[in-house]
Amino acid sequence: MTVVSAFLVPGSPLPLLDPVAPGWGRLAAAMRRAGRSLAASRPDVVLVYSTQWFAVLDQLWLVRPRSTGVHVDENWHELGDMPFDIAADVDLAQACVRGSPEVGVHAKGVDYDGFPLDSGTISACTLLELGGADRPVVVASNNLYHSGDTTARLAEMAVARAQEQNKRVAVVGVGGLSGSVYREEIDTRNDRIHNPGDDKWNRRILRLIESGDVRELQAVLPQYVGEARVDMGFKHFHWVSGALGGRFHGARVHDYNSTYGAGAAVIEFSL
Amino acid sequence: MPQGEIIASFLAPHPPHLVYGENPPQNEPRSQGGWEPLRWAYEHARASLDAMKPDVLLVHSPHWITTVGHHFLGVRQLSGKSVDPIFPNLFRYEFSLDVDVELAEACCEEGRKAGLVTKMMRNPNFRVDYGTITTLHMIRPQWDIPVVGLSANNTPYYLNTKEGLGEMDLLGKATREAIRKTGRKAVLLISNTLSHWHFHEEPAVPEDMSQEHPENMAGYQWDMRIIELMRKGRMQEVHKLLPQFIDEAFAEVKSGAFTWAHAAMNYPEIPAELYGYGSVIGTGNAVMEWNLRKAGLSMLDEQAMVSA
Repeated sequence: MTVVSAFLVPGSPLPLLDPVAPGWGRLAAAMRRAGRSLAASRPDVVLVYSTQWFAVLDQLWLVRPRSTGVHVDENWHELGDMPFDIAADVDLAQACVRGSPEVGVHAKGVDYDGFPLDSGTISACTLLELGGADRPVVVASNNLYHSGDTTARLAEMAVARAQEQNKRVAVVGVGGLSGSVYREEIDTRNDRIHNPGDDKWNRRILRLIESGDVRELQAVLPQYVGEARVDMGFKHFHWVSGALGGRFHGARVHDYNSTYGAGAAVIEFSL
Repeated sequence: MPQGEIIASFLAPHPPHLVYGENPPQNEPRSQGGWEPLRWAYEHARASLDAMKPDVLLVHSPHWITTVGHHFLGVRQLSGKSVDPIFPNLFRYEFSLDVDVELAEACCEEGRKAGLVTKMMRNPNFRVDYGTITTLHMIRPQWDIPVVGLSANNTPYYLNTKEGLGEMDLLGKATREAIRKTGRKAVLLISNTLSHWHFHEEPAVPEDMSQEHPENMAGYQWDMRIIELMRKGRMQEVHKLLPQFIDEAFAEVKSGAFTWAHAAMNYPEIPAELYGYGSVIGTGNAVMEWNLRKAGLSMLDEQAMVSA
């Protein structure tokens, strides 16, 4: 079996930067639990897709052997720095660059000192403990013009390339649930989902994921995306779903919470 | 304290291709040139700015996106390497800039008093966005004039164009008041492309100008219509058309810099000087100047604020 574990985690840096806030602390703890579960699945490589790594030309794949630096979030700069040191599986990443045209996508590798990795990728790698020599990553960008289907096909292709290299892979989609946020300063102790409609939608979707009702999930996703302003059309879910060939038996939701009003969940899929 | 003055504003677009084409020592990649008409347009803008002798350049960039409030660079000296996340092959630039923190704080405070959510950016490790850096390099490559950098709050995209531009009107007026109170001689930089339809693949040689042209005719025609109105000084018509222009040409002025600068200038009905127009990966870019000093409208006094 090529895919040994799969996860959906929030892209907001708030759980990493300010875990003292109760909800964000619970999300951070949940990500660390998910990280331990991921490690226990003994992957050779982790396929990461972050909604916050924007691309508009081509599909970008991180092919730099080791990315290091200090990132500061453009909105939450007062909460501190995000140092990172992330190792990539360059052989697999290059295979993904070569394989992307097979699914109709022009692709490029990114190998530049100082390249601005996004807050989502760095948060996920830090809290899940990815990107060390024992768990290198392949990171894919979110081309803003790609659909969920294209994203799923890219993930499927990446798994196929990993299979050719006899590698066990974990899959991680990095992004949020509902997208409505507070646009003024709030007391972070009182952070909650921005509105009841979003909360209702998020809980419905999480129940469907937990129950493994993929058919119903696929049927309601377009409405969910439209009505709950879901982060980037939920393409991070399509990434995971594509990697799993559209099949999973259920899932465990380690935590569901809010990040400045937006929905956030740490989900471990049952394969 | 000297009397505050908004000397001029420039439409100063930020495609990193222009820096790449110029081959300055700060930028790592090397090119064979390209986009010369736009780069020559910036040469005129540079000469004009040089003659103005401003104390400070204020730049509003759509590539510093904030979701909670309008943010201002608030660290006296910022430096580092800026790598464009979209075009890392073209733009890897070592920058070093001085910030006019006093004016930035005044803008932040006046914005707050106008009812906006505002915040100072105090983190010394902050990576200044490539839009800010490209615009500043293209207009003043000497980097010898202090800067105030403003983020683009995502209101126009999160809510709608009308509410977003309404906030930018307030931010512009707050900026004007801050410049008046601090007695600065200021130039405003609108870091925006016009029509923003672009190609989705890059030529093998990015500076191959045989591949460069407007992405579509409608975008080009919109650009010409708007530029012609600006050249004639029919700015009220421009502001009235702006929402339609934004919708139909996917214009980057949606991010707010254009409205911010014109609100700060008290919406002058004066003609703009067009220094040049050209496409970059299909988008429409114009380098233009509104010179308030030449029009006798630059000085900021109490009476001017009352009439505003």
